[in-house]
Amino acid sequence: MMRLGWWLIRAQFLARRGATALSMLAIALGVALGYAIHLINDAALADFSRAMKAVQGEPDVVIAARDGAGHVPLALIDLLSRDEAVAVLAPVIETRVRIGDTPMLVRLIGLDPFSAAQLMPMLLPDQANDAMGRLLDGAVFASPALAAKVGADTTVIRGAARWQTHIGGELPAAPAGERLLVADIAWVQAHFGPREGVGEIRIRLHPETPLAAWRASWAPKLPAGIELRAAADNQARVSNISRAYRVNLNVLAMVALLTGAFLVFATQLTAVAQRSTQFALLGVLGLPPRQRLLQVLVEGLAIGVPGSAGGLLLGFGLATGFTRVLGGDLGGGFFSAASPEIDAQTLPAAGFFALGCLASLLGALYPAWLNRIQPLAQALKTGFAQRQRPGAGHALGRDLLLILVLTVGALALTRVPAIADLPLGGYAAITLLLILGIVSAPLATRALFGALARAWLPAPQKIAVQNILQAPLMAQVAASGLIVSFALTVSMVTMVSSFRTALDQWLDAVLPAPFYMRSKAVPLPAELLADLARPDSPFLRVERMAASSFSLDPQRPAVALLVREIDRRQPGARLPFSGAVIDVAPTEIPVWVSEAMQEVHGIAVGQQLRLPLLGRDVEVTVGGIWRDYARQFGAVVMSADDYLALGGHFEATDLALWPRPGQEAVAQSWLRGEAQRLGVEAAASGEIRELSLSIFDKSFAITHALEAAAMLIGLFGLAVTLAASIWLRARELATLAALGFDRAMLGRAVVLEGAMIAGIGLLLGLACGIGVGAILTEVVNPQAFHWRMPLRVPWTQVLPVAGLTLLAAMLASGIAARQATRMPAARILAGAQ
Amino acid sequence: MLSVTGLGKRHPGAARPLFSELRFAVGAGEVVALVGESGVGKSTLLNCIAGLEPADTGTVLVGPDAADMARLDEAAAAALRARRIGFVFQAFHVLPTLNVAQNIAVPLLLNGIDAAEHPARIEELLARVGLAGFGSRWPASLSGGELQRVAIARALVHRPSLILADEPTGNLDPRTADEVLSLLLERVRASHAGALIVTHSQHVAQACDRILALTPEGLR
Repeated sequence: MMRLGWWLIRAQFLARRGATALSMLAIALGVALGYAIHLINDAALADFSRAMKAVQGEPDVVIAARDGAGHVPLALIDLLSRDEAVAVLAPVIETRVRIGDTPMLVRLIGLDPFSAAQLMPMLLPDQANDAMGRLLDGAVFASPALAAKVGADTTVIRGAARWQTHIGGELPAAPAGERLLVADIAWVQAHFGPREGVGEIRIRLHPETPLAAWRASWAPKLPAGIELRAAADNQARVSNISRAYRVNLNVLAMVALLTGAFLVFATQLTAVAQRSTQFALLGVLGLPPRQRLLQVLVEGLAIGVPGSAGGLLLGFGLATGFTRVLGGDLGGGFFSAASPEIDAQTLPAAGFFALGCLASLLGALYPAWLNRIQPLAQALKTGFAQRQRPGAGHALGRDLLLILVLTVGALALTRVPAIADLPLGGYAAITLLLILGIVSAPLATRALFGALARAWLPAPQKIAVQNILQAPLMAQVAASGLIVSFALTVSMVTMVSSFRTALDQWLDAVLPAPFYMRSKAVPLPAELLADLARPDSPFLRVERMAASSFSLDPQRPAVALLVREIDRRQPGARLPFSGAVIDVAPTEIPVWVSEAMQEVHGIAVGQQLRLPLLGRDVEVTVGGIWRDYARQFGAVVMSADDYLALGGHFEATDLALWPRPGQEAVAQSWLRGEAQRLGVEAAASGEIRELSLSIFDKSFAITHALEAAAMLIGLFGLAVTLAASIWLRARELATLAALGFDRAMLGRAVVLEGAMIAGIGLLLGLACGIGVGAILTEVVNPQAFHWRMPLRVPWTQVLPVAGLTLLAAMLASGIAARQATRMPAARILAGAQ
Repeated sequence: MLSVTGLGKRHPGAARPLFSELRFAVGAGEVVALVGESGVGKSTLLNCIAGLEPADTGTVLVGPDAADMARLDEAAAAALRARRIGFVFQAFHVLPTLNVAQNIAVPLLLNGIDAAEHPARIEELLARVGLAGFGSRWPASLSGGELQRVAIARALVHRPSLILADEPTGNLDPRTADEVLSLLLERVRASHAGALIVTHSQHVAQACDRILALTPEGLR
């Protein structure tokens, strides 16, 4: 029996090389994409984790200030050092500094060499040549990546603070590629603060200490503004940074896999239809029904196995090549561009291989079932029974009920909030909407073409309309492929267009000044600010902003704190609010939060919040929600006056600059010179806008490739199923030829039929696509990435694609018709097909 | 080889049964012609005997000690067909994607017969149907007469108890039809199987051992 199965598979693959190869390729692409994403992310996280361990050591617990301006007080260190469960306690101050007047920003870590030797040995210099002694005496040690770039004597600068020191040597075990300086904590504290404490304390507990219980006992004793993070929290925090992005990429991989499943479905369905007489003969000769079902499933698996294996190889190659060229960053900008090692482990590879095989089995399931239930005697005589079951008087009511249930279900799912920060309801609603499109096809066909059947039409057109109205299975399958592919294309075009338009408008609102300057997370040099304040400066006006961050949840990425010179009575002049803005009482401190904060923390306008600022909890009032496409994990804006009133130091990191009238060129030239000298970024607002839109276009360039692939696959499905449908009706066409239809008339009938199927597919695809686009913009994007935007359908892109698809479908029908009418009618009628 | 007792069949919604209380038998080496007007139920009767359509009443026994085909489920009927029945069709139904030898081997594979035995059996049958050396040829390269000879070889290769033939010469020219009919009768008799041949041809019917005429009133 196995030999017979093998003969049939071989014959099938040889006869349908193109369709089989394309189905394998689609499965391979789905597996490759999913596997590559897994490998890259796994490698990036492992790399990140290694780097973090190298810098942070392996503490059980980290106690740290929740915001950049806060600190862990010395009294707490004293208290902790007396806890018998604490084995090692390592105080650390970490800050970002500039080296001399070079444009180089590096991490400076101040540590206690004795506790660091136990907890963070990779951050210490060699013991030789009294390195430890020099460290205690005020020398700084540089990582190999940095040591090669700085001289023996150097100045370490942060804002107005300067420290003249010398490089005592290298840190041989520091992570490769990392630019960092290590110094004794007392020296760092003396030069850059904080004077009353340290940045964080890394703690190793005695092995027998239960971590959860210890944590629970200390949590209530910690002052406001201090948080306690376990090692697992750090892992979760790193993973959470890119989670939604990864899930979205994985959904794309799933779409590619399902596309593969659809191609296997179309290939196997047409294969079953074309070989129905052969399978019927085998059934008559004694092939059991179960074997007829298994044969088609095994054929599907025979596509899936090489496809999945090829996909694993391709995925590994993609991941390796991608990390070599672009590092471990999946394109979302979440990890630094290191080149992590790809590690292909057996279990995930087996999982993705199984997924590919499962997709191909899924695609083959319905054709296999159809093959199982074909009435043998009838199929042997007349071929594949493709008409729908007659007497389905309840079909209309059943279809309407199904459509209603799917519509209500999809609408209900769009209301489901994010589950574990993922838009699972939105994804499920998209699935239901696509199914809704497919099941609506027969009803839409009757509604659109029903009247035509009663009208007088020339014979070819009449034949075409009748064929469509009888809704043969093949026509439904052909339309289904087009519905799904066009819906996906329209939805992606709609989402990208909506996003780009919103981004364009947002850039207008957030870039009011002609020039901008920024220094990432490091205060701008004091002399620069002094120069800008001089009367002969080419700038009329300078608005300052200090960007830092604070932690609301140890397992979530930090929230940006933007302290700005902003008029608290007119915040709308600087922030693009997406809703109402309220006046906050003069006794209260207003903050304006981004939509991401609203989405993640459920914040409403007017709400009172307690934010961890300046080492304590500060009560603020939400004055409004503003749109922010720059900071995905949330941002809070506070006026500089309020921040200063709270006791904070306003150290500007970003500047918006208005040149004096007529001095624009001088101002720009001055700015560029300073930026180059100090290693900060400066740009005109037009350049920032251009760069932002160009980055956006590059980020979404892949979607255009996906759209093209989706449309090609949809068209391929249409062409294959249409050709098979016409092949199955060769006898019918031959009869028409015998009755007096010439080839042109037959061709017209078939082309019209193809056009009507494509028309239905495109129409329903358009409707579903707009629906899916709306779900992407209104549900998926806000829940996954916390970005909101108004829906905009780009008709100028959608309609030409629809027109071209219609033409392509008619062309495919014409080719199929020519092939079907090539054989002499008499020969077909004599049963020679 | 075939024993039919009290067989009856009515199509759903039909006013009267297509046939009822049919009773006949086909002995070993006996060739019986089944004749009748179009629409009288010859093909349905053949389908009921082969277990392809369920009968409403009666029993169908194929070969010695066989189960009642009319009472078997689909899978059991398929297994019994594979073991006990050989088929010859008007439209030949030779699988176009398998070569001649592979086509003939299909019943052997369905019956799990040791692959080592296949070449000898196939070669012997090909020689007997006048197609020696045709094993590696593809169906597309054969004439109608040659295709039907392949079908006859396939019907006999697993040594069935019963051959069911539906208009076996209907698609052939008179001379080829004569040759194929002679071959079929000779091979059936030599194999000691029984055969039931549905035909509209008086010439074919006359060549058989016995003629059964199916009419709306029953068998005559």
